[in-house]
Amino acid sequence: MRSLYALRYIYLLVALAGLIVLPMLTSGYVVYLANLLLTFTVMCLGMHLVIGECGQFSLAQAAFYGIGIYASGLCSTHLGWPFPLSMLVSGLVAGVVGLAIGFFALRMRDIYLALATFAFGEAMQWVFLNWKDVTGGPNGLRIAPARLLNWEIISDKDAYPVVLISAMVMIALTILIARSRLGRSFRAVRESEVAAQAMGIDIRGAKLAAFGLSAFFAGVAGGMFALYSTFIHPDSLGFSTTILVLTMVVVGGLGSIGGAVGGAIVFGLISELLRQAPSFQEIAYGLILVLFMMYAPKGLFAFIGETFSRLKHG
Amino acid sequence: MDFDLFLLFAQQGLASGVVVGSVYALLALAIVMIFKTSEVPNFAQGEVFMASGYLALFLLVFQGAAVWFTIPFTLVASFIAAALFRRGVLTQVAKASGSPVNLVIATLGLSYILKGLVRRTGFGDTPRSFPSLVPTDSIMIGQASVTKLDIAIFLTAVSVMALVFWMFAYTRTGRAMRAVGMNPKAAQLMGVNLEKIHMLIWGLSGVVSAIAALLISPKILMTAEMGAIVTMAFAAAIVGGFTSLPGAVVGGFIIGIVENFVGLFISSRAIAVAPFAAIMLVLIVRPQGLFGGKFAIKKV
Amino acid sequence: MADPILTVENLTIAFGGLVAVRDFSMQIERGTIHALIGPNGAGKSTTFNAISRFYTPTSGRVVYEGRDITRLPSHAIAGLGIARSFQNLELFNELTVLENILIGAHVHCGGSLSEMLEAQPASVMARIDEIIERTDLKSYRDTKARNLDFGHQKLLELARALAIRPKLLLLDEPAAGLRNREIAALDELLSDLCRRDGLTILLVEHVMQLVMSISHTVTVLNFGTKIAEGKPAEVRANPQVIEAYLGKETALHG
Repeated sequence: MRSLYALRYIYLLVALAGLIVLPMLTSGYVVYLANLLLTFTVMCLGMHLVIGECGQFSLAQAAFYGIGIYASGLCSTHLGWPFPLSMLVSGLVAGVVGLAIGFFALRMRDIYLALATFAFGEAMQWVFLNWKDVTGGPNGLRIAPARLLNWEIISDKDAYPVVLISAMVMIALTILIARSRLGRSFRAVRESEVAAQAMGIDIRGAKLAAFGLSAFFAGVAGGMFALYSTFIHPDSLGFSTTILVLTMVVVGGLGSIGGAVGGAIVFGLISELLRQAPSFQEIAYGLILVLFMMYAPKGLFAFIGETFSRLKHG
Repeated sequence: MDFDLFLLFAQQGLASGVVVGSVYALLALAIVMIFKTSEVPNFAQGEVFMASGYLALFLLVFQGAAVWFTIPFTLVASFIAAALFRRGVLTQVAKASGSPVNLVIATLGLSYILKGLVRRTGFGDTPRSFPSLVPTDSIMIGQASVTKLDIAIFLTAVSVMALVFWMFAYTRTGRAMRAVGMNPKAAQLMGVNLEKIHMLIWGLSGVVSAIAALLISPKILMTAEMGAIVTMAFAAAIVGGFTSLPGAVVGGFIIGIVENFVGLFISSRAIAVAPFAAIMLVLIVRPQGLFGGKFAIKKV
Repeated sequence: MADPILTVENLTIAFGGLVAVRDFSMQIERGTIHALIGPNGAGKSTTFNAISRFYTPTSGRVVYEGRDITRLPSHAIAGLGIARSFQNLELFNELTVLENILIGAHVHCGGSLSEMLEAQPASVMARIDEIIERTDLKSYRDTKARNLDFGHQKLLELARALAIRPKLLLLDEPAAGLRNREIAALDELLSDLCRRDGLTILLVEHVMQLVMSISHTVTVLNFGTKIAEGKPAEVRANPQVIEAYLGKETALHG
């Protein structure tokens, strides 16, 4: 048993080492891909918190992601703020909007919550498209390069260390939240609201925290995106992006942090490969969602684990 | 805006709204039918609608098939496809995990599969027009201008709705469906075959969506994205009360009229966001909609 | 001599036109086991839910340790020392036995920031281990709640309530569905909790053998009003009580 635990840490160390040396060994495209996958990882973590931990079926991730991107873009371009500050602002602005949405969503049961957050996500995309003064509307928004003191981030390889560190920080934060009293209250709310109340948990507060935190994560992901991108258009901030994140989390496994990270990477890669054939992409997304729901509802990694143990024990 | 113009807009908005609203009502009916019996909001409803429209287009325009063949074939195909999805996919999903969320995700998957398939066939690439089977010259009702096609759409939609309601109220199958909607376990104890009822409901929902597609397609430009119209239907169902069939119909007409009014009195850009605003507003202020029953207090 | 920990004063609970509980009053003495019984539909669970703040009464008061708790939010009573179990088991099914009980201790974790961030806060672990021992769940510590057999699930529900460190324990049909052996174990555990730990217990129950065995006081409800109250033996002999139960399967001779 001990050796298995140590093995897991060794895998993680190897992965981490690989991640660190990545930009030195590969092309710009691979680094871009890594940046993108790390960004989506953070979005997946946010979704894991609100849906996986707290059981609130929120379908508005893309909206908060967009808010984060625009906030970061505006801070860099119009205010010239250093990127750590603009990333924090992205997270906070998105988080505050998330709290507001959470407040209205408090009374709603799962399915209605899904519909309401879906509607919010679409309404937000409409706002992105029509609020020309702030977002540039259908022309999109140019994002100035991120800066810190004298350092300007121009290429994907420049951005990569910041993106990697941000992702690591957010993963650590997720683990911290999950282990904490707050995380326990999330799970209690998910499993039984009634019993959670009897145990002294303020379920309204817990749900608000879950919404706010997941929006914060999506906002930070937006800030990460702004590090390595020069342009954003509302077309990439709609329901299909939320579905992409949802698929990643479902593939990886809703219930675990490792699942969120793993799903982002695995499905992110699949999605990128499929980008060459857009009509196949949609069919593949759909098939993956359907097949996983039919045969591996707990996600790829749980499925593999269960299959292994079934094979081992005959 | 002077009063005469207001009156003109109001009449036009009402007339056009009622026509398109009748189609929304059909789609909303299809959605609520499924939700009432299985607590699943079918996120693939729009794509079923779209796919059946394309099937009819393919047969009619590209295969030169006759109308008397195309329409029944499309309806039957929709029925079978939807029922098979319920039986083949959703039953397995329900078995694999008790969570209703997973069923919703499965319907999301279906919507992507259908969209992708239609795009694969190459037909979804450019916008298509669907031939109208009824003359499209217009007549005036008061100060509003509507086409004969519009009238045909409205009458057909209302007839189908009446048929559906008749079926629910007076046939044995309809009663069984209502029983399943109220209390599946009790219905099962009384000898109702749950699986068969679920398949029938999904099949029926598929047929109604196909009818809606056949009705509205001549009026719009067909694209692979036309399933997005389902947002209007969801808004209609929510406004009416997600668990109420008559509510879905009323909601459909309300949304149709509101959509036209928003377009006429505010701006055409605002139309896009109107259903989402309506959904959020209703769910915040009065989640049970107009006709939905009071949300049950959980028994502890 | 009278030291009521909980007083119910003229409680009326109506749902729309239906009056479930009418002008009901009751006093629960500290350190006793008090049973609330009555035929199905008598209003026991309704009263129970009002006390534990899942329903709000139409009129009347619930006073706990001198404090009016009638309109408190339902998550506020755990911090006051009132814990409850649920008739239909509301366990955290996907969580382990340990995690379930840990959430019970929720109100006691989190004095300091480090406490709030700990997966297993030191300050409560000792007590949790003790509860696990006492409720015979030691071998199931890391088992998911939904994988336990029914008897152990009921024990878990109780253990979780105990983690709140309650002064008043509200149990909703704790013996329902248990085998005789398990009822005997429950009898012993509850008596022990009362005697040794000074816990006050309010019990809604149909299993008469348990009620008669451990209760100090029994209150009988029928059609929402109190029809009898007193020591178990008195209540059992009360003709009105017998009549209320006539024709029901539950025998008072259990």
